[in-house]
Amino acid sequence: MITIDGSMGEGGGQILRSALALSMLTQQPFRIDNIRAGRTTPGLMRQHLTAVYAARTICHADTEGESIGSTTLVFKPKKVTPGKYAFAIGSAGSTTLVLQAILPALLTADGDTEVTLEGGTHNPFAPPIDFLRRAYIPQIARMGSTISIDLDRAGFFPSGGGRFVVRVTPAKRLSPFQLLERGPIHAKRAVAVISALPRDIGEREIKRVIKRLTFEASELEVLSLPADQGPGNLLMLQYDCQHCSEVFVGFGMKGVNAEAVADSAIDHARHWLAGSGAVGPFLADQLLLPMALAGGGSFTTTQVTEHTRTNAKVIAMFLPLNIRIDEQAQASRIDIDMQ
Amino acid sequence: MKRKPLVVLGLLGPMLDNGRGAERWERWRPTVALCQHEELLVDRFELLYQPRFTTLAKIVSTDIPRISPETDVRLHEVAIDDAWDFAAVYGALHDFARSYRFIPEREDYLVHITTGSHVSQICLFLLTESRYLPARLVQTAPPSRERGMTGSFSIIDLDLSKYDALASRFQQQKVEGKSFLKGGIQTRSKAFNAMIDQIEQVATSSRSPLLLMGPTGAGKSQLARRIYELKKSRRQVEGKLVEVNCATLRGDGAMSALFGHVRGAFTGANTDRSGLLRAADGGVLFLDEIGELGLDEQAMLLRAIEERRFLPHGSDREVKSEFQLIAGTNAKLQSRVREGRFREDLLARINLWSFTLPALCDRREDIEPNIDYELERYALETGDRVVLNKEAREAFLRFARSPGALWTGNFRDLTAAITRMATLASGGRISVGIVSSEIARLESSWKQDADLDAGVSTVDQLHELLDESAIAGIDPFDRVQLAEVVRVCRKSRTLSEAGRLLFSASRLERRSVNDADRLKKYLARFGLRFESIVRQQS
Repeated sequence: MITIDGSMGEGGGQILRSALALSMLTQQPFRIDNIRAGRTTPGLMRQHLTAVYAARTICHADTEGESIGSTTLVFKPKKVTPGKYAFAIGSAGSTTLVLQAILPALLTADGDTEVTLEGGTHNPFAPPIDFLRRAYIPQIARMGSTISIDLDRAGFFPSGGGRFVVRVTPAKRLSPFQLLERGPIHAKRAVAVISALPRDIGEREIKRVIKRLTFEASELEVLSLPADQGPGNLLMLQYDCQHCSEVFVGFGMKGVNAEAVADSAIDHARHWLAGSGAVGPFLADQLLLPMALAGGGSFTTTQVTEHTRTNAKVIAMFLPLNIRIDEQAQASRIDIDMQ
Repeated sequence: MKRKPLVVLGLLGPMLDNGRGAERWERWRPTVALCQHEELLVDRFELLYQPRFTTLAKIVSTDIPRISPETDVRLHEVAIDDAWDFAAVYGALHDFARSYRFIPEREDYLVHITTGSHVSQICLFLLTESRYLPARLVQTAPPSRERGMTGSFSIIDLDLSKYDALASRFQQQKVEGKSFLKGGIQTRSKAFNAMIDQIEQVATSSRSPLLLMGPTGAGKSQLARRIYELKKSRRQVEGKLVEVNCATLRGDGAMSALFGHVRGAFTGANTDRSGLLRAADGGVLFLDEIGELGLDEQAMLLRAIEERRFLPHGSDREVKSEFQLIAGTNAKLQSRVREGRFREDLLARINLWSFTLPALCDRREDIEPNIDYELERYALETGDRVVLNKEAREAFLRFARSPGALWTGNFRDLTAAITRMATLASGGRISVGIVSSEIARLESSWKQDADLDAGVSTVDQLHELLDESAIAGIDPFDRVQLAEVVRVCRKSRTLSEAGRLLFSASRLERRSVNDADRLKKYLARFGLRFESIVRQQS
């Protein structure tokens, strides 16, 4: 059985989610020890359990240690069963993180799958749904599968209450792909989303964008959502390039002023704009796994994080692949190929 | 490795959990936040709410599954009108605790004590501490500076020994229980107080029958009533107190009065009658003068105590009744057993906890507090506050504590005396004059009692002390005198006390007195000694 040390790298949920996805795909059981070792609350937390539960449901896995505070989890997958699923995820978890754990296995399942996810869609501790739709999904679609995401309602942290449906039509075989250049930017947008909060917050964020980035008036928008969901605010910067799209997000939070919210998105965008790698660090992190499933590929990124390195190590435990990371200041290159 | 589902019981906080619009998500709401912790999965939330806050309860109960879909929220309306009324809150929460089906072997319980009034927090604590709620406590706190509105929580297990110090504070409640049993009277008799301590302990920790012995008027009924009130206040009984004097249950009616009958059981039984035992279901049955109960009824009662079931007259179907029995008697039941008038097995069953209430003349130090208690009671019943002025009080106490005050009717005599004096008091003050005439009234009534006693018991008493031939050698004229002397000796604690009583008239005129010696010499004439007379008695 594959044994993973949960304390390696930055540890935490990323290792677990990658391991769940890889285990379902490769049909190999695994055991993960030292889950969140050294934290004040060690072991599995609810957000991890929601991911385990969703993965277990889709492949009828047998598990050991699937409980709060457990520092060891054993996961023994069976056949991935396509079909209709619905998972409700509390504010402690995140719908997008759960989706990342189960989506890779659905890309090669032997039938269509429809997953309804309810809960938070915009959670400061997880990639927002907009990032998945615009940046992540298009790249996966390039490998052959058809994926759609229909967002019914947004759900902000902590009130949640969001809902979206993901439909996956698998490909027989995923084809490797290359993403070495982003190409010229042909469209961009800055959207300040406001829900049940003064519109003024969004306006200040947009002002900040105008001050620090180059945007035309037609590319700027303050979007007010119906106030019946909880209060929420985020600033989203979208760049559509010839070969890929990027989304950078800043989340509004109590006690953080609008300018600071805008700055966190703007800083990420500026860093990416200044580099020449195709994707930013978050997308790089996410692309590793589907590319590994396709059996190979290459891409460039503006930054390699500890997360990405840890992810590469976990992938290598399940699949006979070489993952080479060539770190450079402007554009780091990651190559994956069969051993 | 299956963990037990976690169930939280909590009160909806009208203040802390409040919030209607979207901005409620920006507030820390303890009930919602408790379900939001990463390291605590609440499988079920039993949310108690006051009827006034139904709308808020609905909001909270729909918000919880939104942030925690794993949590099943169940709403319980509890009838609390005033969240600061201790008795009402405790009662309502206690009712909930009693009716809720706890399965501690299959579920883990937490009681959330952060929401609700301080009164309800204290009540929840008490119910948990007394294990009515087989749970640990959970306290929540708002976020300090962290992100989100979750805050923190801490779990407190009262079973851990570090909370012993805390638990010992609740010993105080016990002290209150004792004072309760004494009707709030500051009794001074050490023996009596020690007995009350024991009764309090037994009454609050056991459901076994209690036997209260003691002379008429010693306060058996009052004590039974207070035991019932104590158990009720501790939520150990829910039902009624049913009191009956068995001496009134003679003949054919006894059986159906106690155990009930069905229609047509006998001529005249036109309707069903449920009987006193069933009326006491879930409560307390006080059978005074239990020695007067017929043998058939005794047999049935024994079965009802042991099996908690019995057969109503004429019925072929047993009925159930769970009651706590308190029996009272002024007779020595052991001698009735010897005479075949009382079942030995029933005595054994009710004799497990027996307490002898001393006569008032054996608790003379308690007379004063009881006078105050009686005056208080009089004021409560009539609305007239009456006081004994200093001289009158001293005069009455001097008499009441003296050996000459026989108090044959015990507290009944004292209650009657105070009631008479209070009624006669003009302007709310009992004067020395009223006291003097009351003293005269009491003495004369005791004298009549004594004359009556002496008349009936002469021969019996002498037979216990002397043999046939010795009695035959005493003139009938002297027998009556000796019998009275024996009777007084037996009521006295010492030879001197008996002497003072027997020579009470002449002692006022004599310069030097040695009544004890005089009595000793008198007894010696019949070959008797004070110690042997008293010992023979017990």
